[in-house]
Amino acid sequence: MKSKAVEIVNFTKKFGDFTAVDNLNLEIYENEVFGLLGPNGSGKTTTLLTIATVYKPTSGDIYVFGHSVTREDYVVRKLVGIAFQEPKAMWIDKPYDLLTWHARIVGYSMSDAKKIVREVMELLGLWEHRNKQFYQLSGGTRKKVELAKVLIQKPRVAILDEPTAQVDVLSKHALWDVIKKLRDEGTTVIIATNDMFEAERVCEKIAIIYKGKLRAMGTISELKDSIPRGDVIEIQYEGSRIPEKLFASLEEYGRIETQSSTLRIYVEKGEEKVLDVIDLFRKNNVKILRIMVKEPTLDDVFTYITGAKLREES
Amino acid sequence: MEVKEWIRGAVLVAQRDLSRFWRNIYWLAGQVAMNIADLVIFAVIFRGLVNPAFIPDYIRFITPGILCLAIFISAFSIGREVGIELRREVTQYLVSLPVTRGALVAGRIMGGVLRGFLYQAGFVILAVVLMSMPSVDKWILILTSSFLLALTMSSLSITLSTLTRDFNLQAAIRSLVYFIFFFVSNVFYPEKALAMRLGSAAPIAYYSPMSMAVNLYRFGFNYTTSVDVLFNLAGLIAWATLSLLFAYKVYIRNLTR
Ligand SMILES: Nc1ncnc2c1ncn2[C@@H]1O[C@H](COP(=O)(O)OP(=O)(O)O)[C@@H](O)[C@H]1O
Ligand SMILES: [Mg+2]
Repeated sequence: MKSKAVEIVNFTKKFGDFTAVDNLNLEIYENEVFGLLGPNGSGKTTTLLTIATVYKPTSGDIYVFGHSVTREDYVVRKLVGIAFQEPKAMWIDKPYDLLTWHARIVGYSMSDAKKIVREVMELLGLWEHRNKQFYQLSGGTRKKVELAKVLIQKPRVAILDEPTAQVDVLSKHALWDVIKKLRDEGTTVIIATNDMFEAERVCEKIAIIYKGKLRAMGTISELKDSIPRGDVIEIQYEGSRIPEKLFASLEEYGRIETQSSTLRIYVEKGEEKVLDVIDLFRKNNVKILRIMVKEPTLDDVFTYITGAKLREES
Repeated sequence: MEVKEWIRGAVLVAQRDLSRFWRNIYWLAGQVAMNIADLVIFAVIFRGLVNPAFIPDYIRFITPGILCLAIFISAFSIGREVGIELRREVTQYLVSLPVTRGALVAGRIMGGVLRGFLYQAGFVILAVVLMSMPSVDKWILILTSSFLLALTMSSLSITLSTLTRDFNLQAAIRSLVYFIFFFVSNVFYPEKALAMRLGSAAPIAYYSPMSMAVNLYRFGFNYTTSVDVLFNLAGLIAWATLSLLFAYKVYIRNLTR
């Protein structure tokens, strides 16, 4: 039985009258890579900053290995390391100086600090940028400096807030490997992301939050199975509208989501239903440009759960 | 163990602020130039406005004031950075580090104090040259005064920069504080002239930390012996303690929301 690394209990955070996170309950177990998934503004960062004791809960509490963020904030800070969504540095800061100081403050001696900083900077391809000033770095490089802090710290719980946003595709794959390695070395990793592909690639468990509320939680396959009808028939059709009559007939097969000229029907045994669907389109004189039957992706899960398209909102 | 951790954290935070001070080298050069310009301007104003009978030797009169100015500019500079960090949310990084809140604030205030001390050092040497070499006990008094004044300025600047995130408002507040400290104090005007000019506002000058420090410096560098050392020292200690407590409260409250 794995122990709980982070336990979020009835956590609510308000900014003035606005509720950013609304009564969130979550358990994150030791040595998991846990994904917090949701479009921009859904409360991911607010939650992560509260775990890192930057914000205080308006009500409820969060426990890190049993220690309360409200009553034992210092103990929690010794267990948690965070890579912020927006890199935290002054413009004239140089990555090497920043990271060396960071290594010192998280507990390394000067000589060990120099060693680990070089090691991590080389791993992330940052070494050549070590003496540039922060404003000269690309967005992706700044994000890597942010991630480097956590890799140097090797905390019990690592919080990564959209770690690969602004990072190029090649580097993304390398970073995902680095993140998995961090987990293999014993760190519990919590990642906030709105990148479905990233979530599928690195996360073992996922919580979907939307507008401050938890909408679903589980492993990726659990979430996919949670869609009552297993498959998705995706149809791209000509024109911009579906006749009412066709829509009504299609709805008998399952729940429908539409988005510009793409229509998704959530069905069971998609490969059997697809012929009927094609037939219906033909009878209604709507031309099909493309049709396919697929297993639901995380994207589909998200669409199903929130009724919203993630990419559109983010 | 806990205490050792606490001190280690505070020292590292102070170190960070100190190394940043030297990196803002152009800004620093600008401040030195302004200091010197102030020195000249005040000297000129002095001749016109103040009866020379009150000040036998205005360079010797002004030099302790420059020592105050040096502390103000350097120790107060910590607030400028605290303000920038607050707006860019670098502060979120600082409060996420494995350091207690107390050590963080203490480190920042100490960072300001160290800036004050180091920056003032050159001017102290200048004072020795222009005025006179203090005795050992007067050296202790001078350094204690510098420490207390730097502590007060560092704490005040952190408090003021934390009160608002508005950069323009911060700058306005800094100017206002500068004005009050240097024009409503006997840093640049002798007490008698001040009483005449300020009228009912004279008590403000009397209780100003700048007046207290400048009095102690004038005593320390043997410009005058007619200084109530105990009153001025006690006053500075009170200023330092109060502003320290205030900075602690305000910084903590504003940084963790
Ligand atoms: N410091 C703050 N003050 C006021 N509102 C905030 C603050 N931080 C976040 N919010 C609001 O809370 C909501 C959630 O934000 P955030 O946690 O950053 O979401 P996410 O990380 O999922 O994009 C947003 O609507 C945002 O505008
Ligand atoms: Mg966010």
